[in-house]
Amino acid sequence: MDDAASRTSPATTRPIWKRPVSRRAVLATGAAGATATALAVLWKGDALSQILDRVRDLTHAYQGALNNERVRVAHLLRRAGFGATAGELDRYLAMGTAGATQVLLDYPKTSNASLDAALPAVDPSGGRGAATVAAIQGWWLQRMVETARPLEEKMTLFWHGLLTSGLDKAGPAQMFTQNQLFRKMAMGNFDDLLKAISKDPAMMIYLDTETNRKGKPNENYARELMELFTTGIGHYSEDDVRESARAFTGWTLQGSQQRRLTTDSVFVPRLHDAGPKTFMGRNGNFTGDDIVDMLAPLRVTAERLSTRLFSFFAYPNPEPEIVHHLADTFQKNRYNVGAVVREIFAMDAFYSPKAYRALVKSPAELVAQTLKATGADAKGYVAAATAMAPMGQVLFYPPNVAGWPAGSSWINSSTLLTRINLANSATQRMRTALPTQSLDNLTRTLVDGNLSPSTKDGLKAYAAAHPGDQAGLLFMVLATPEFQLN
Amino acid sequence: MFSRRDFMRQGLLPIFAGSAVPAVFANGVAAAAADSPKATPSDRVLVLVQLAGGNDGLNTLIPFQDGAYHDARPTLRQDQGVLTLNSQLGLHPNLKGLKASWDAGQLAIVQGVGYPNPNLSHFASMSVWETASVRGGIGDGWLGRYLNYLDQVGESPNHALEGVSAGSLVPPELRSKTPVTALQSLRTFRLQPVNEHGTQVDVENPLMKFYSAFKGAGPAPFGALLDTTLQEALQASHALQATDATYVAKGTYPTNSPIASALKLVAETIVSGLGVRVAHVTLGGFDNHAREKPVHDKLLLDLDQALTAFMQDLKGHGLDDRVLVMTWSEFGRRVKENGSAGTDHGTAAPMFVLGAPVKGGLYGQQPSLNDLDNGNLKFTTDFRSVYASVLQGYLKAPASDLLGGNFEILPLLKA
Repeated sequence: MDDAASRTSPATTRPIWKRPVSRRAVLATGAAGATATALAVLWKGDALSQILDRVRDLTHAYQGALNNERVRVAHLLRRAGFGATAGELDRYLAMGTAGATQVLLDYPKTSNASLDAALPAVDPSGGRGAATVAAIQGWWLQRMVETARPLEEKMTLFWHGLLTSGLDKAGPAQMFTQNQLFRKMAMGNFDDLLKAISKDPAMMIYLDTETNRKGKPNENYARELMELFTTGIGHYSEDDVRESARAFTGWTLQGSQQRRLTTDSVFVPRLHDAGPKTFMGRNGNFTGDDIVDMLAPLRVTAERLSTRLFSFFAYPNPEPEIVHHLADTFQKNRYNVGAVVREIFAMDAFYSPKAYRALVKSPAELVAQTLKATGADAKGYVAAATAMAPMGQVLFYPPNVAGWPAGSSWINSSTLLTRINLANSATQRMRTALPTQSLDNLTRTLVDGNLSPSTKDGLKAYAAAHPGDQAGLLFMVLATPEFQLN
Repeated sequence: MFSRRDFMRQGLLPIFAGSAVPAVFANGVAAAAADSPKATPSDRVLVLVQLAGGNDGLNTLIPFQDGAYHDARPTLRQDQGVLTLNSQLGLHPNLKGLKASWDAGQLAIVQGVGYPNPNLSHFASMSVWETASVRGGIGDGWLGRYLNYLDQVGESPNHALEGVSAGSLVPPELRSKTPVTALQSLRTFRLQPVNEHGTQVDVENPLMKFYSAFKGAGPAPFGALLDTTLQEALQASHALQATDATYVAKGTYPTNSPIASALKLVAETIVSGLGVRVAHVTLGGFDNHAREKPVHDKLLLDLDQALTAFMQDLKGHGLDDRVLVMTWSEFGRRVKENGSAGTDHGTAAPMFVLGAPVKGGLYGQQPSLNDLDNGNLKFTTDFRSVYASVLQGYLKAPASDLLGGNFEILPLLKA
């Protein structure tokens, strides 16, 4: 490839996230002539097993998949959103990777009118269309599948997994309200979001700030704000926990409704401990906002959030140089989250072999992409959202305040059977409505047309043995190991 | 030498077809049908019950005569109905089943369990308990190391039901190279066939082909995980389906109680002779910084009823001498209640060790309520001492090797 040939400057002169793809990956995408040359080179220098390894890579083109623009755009849509239908993929591909990235990032410019028209009404204040657990779960899953702004939903899911609250304590109307807050502030400044979430009713109930009163401090929120939301463990003392708990006093739930129905909060000065506090070595009559203003600028906060975002979008355990660069970006842009996300999508590391299929689809990603492939009606969204529980992810109900552990923990014997069975029930549910598509088209849309030889052979054999069974064939594609990865 | 597990991991195990039960399971069923006295130490089962969120130890094993307890807990103290164990201590009023086990000499309570320099983070402290290392981290779990040990000494049943977790996650205590099965219900633990115009098409064999060669296709880190997981899942699924019909519960499990359902599932796998060695269930909801009392009362009631049914069930099946239950929680709670009628994160708390193999009684020392560290109890027994006692006294495994140190062995167990 010409592009690859031009990128031969020594790796050390470029930051790691801008380095060329590995030699093996470049070889893997080469034309037939290049393949032959490479084979000849390998034959001289390597043991037979290594040669066979590389032949397999060359023929399978697995690691080099991201050098194909269609695969790059599909990868981008899986990471920045919840995958794509064939039509969506074509539309973004026509913009090119750079253009598609721009459109995804600048999502406020994209109208979501057709989604808004399709969504069921959810009324957090009660009455008709009142927010029930099933209603808000189906509502959010439908958003993930049908939105014209995939990154907005993906970031909302990111925040739900970091700044956690859950239905085990908060009510569904409160979780709905919090979800809208995440959506509104998804790509804004982190300190603004932290100040808002500190006063969010679902969070106030989940981490007990609603009962945190002058003279009766409750440490729950203050501790998790530092341990999980900002600095991480090891960067604060038990005294910092106790003192900042005092600073967060004063906010309480508004109105006379039952606490799990209240979706507004209010500051009551007489409940606030306005006295002097010592926090991280500084003295003052701090409020909760003051505490956030001291936590957001910390380098450890920048590094931790950067690591979390990169691991969510690209691959886990990013190199220190990458974290350093993203943390700089965060700090130079007044703690702006959108700036960090934009930078991640611009990194070559995001399209490196290390990033390709380097994440396990979370149940939300798996189910949303499955429903993009099968289509769904309103009942289908609720049913699919409910079916996520045995996969280990219930929307609005994280397992604990640390959110979902992700990665390999999504896959165990029980969840894997459930994931495959969900694909089966989703395809059967829509079997009469499925358009006829060839196996090639299905795999191009859903798994980059990039399959292991045995998967490819197995799918062909299934298609040959069950002609006309569109639902069965689609199921088989959704049940592949390739589709389990993102 | 290759163990059977190595073959399975490398995809060398032949794919078993249809509903045939692999020989190892057939043997397991036969072994279970035989009398349990013949059981070797490695046939013993340890069931861990995790009380997630930090159980309030002071309102579980209650120092009801201590004025300091009443002073520290103006709204949360248990004034009435404490089930007395001696002149100073009693169980929470809702732990009636555990009290009956105590009376029968089948409940050991280790007091004041904790570790040095306690960490008040849920997750850091859980990690300490899960790895049995005060540094925590992502290494193998302490029971995962036990499963590895069984494999090394040739005592492993070598299949995916050796370690069972009732839930959607494999808990870090069981993390190791040994496969562990997460189970949520036997009914759903199978691959559904495809319905092709009314005909059921079995998809197991074609899918097994995808999942036996994906690792070799060179993808990122998860290829091997996906391959072995589906193989282990189907192996376990076949075994479970083959025995599902035969189990009849011999204890009365409460309905609408997730912890009861989880323990019933564990009982079923044990009773069915599937070779379970360690099992894990979780009861969550203990992190009560506010309005603790009604929540905690209900949690202990659910725990007690579920454990009671579980012990009855095993006894009814003649397996009670082969099963030991141990509870743990990442920490106890602050001695003094907070202003929200709740308690903040604390330190030491009691552990329950329950079952016919136990020598009932109180072990260790009740921590003082007047000699606190930043408002928290000072621990009196290291949790690894309890682990060591169970590993050595019950599972007959080399505790100091598995825990990376020597810890005092408490005489919790019958010889």
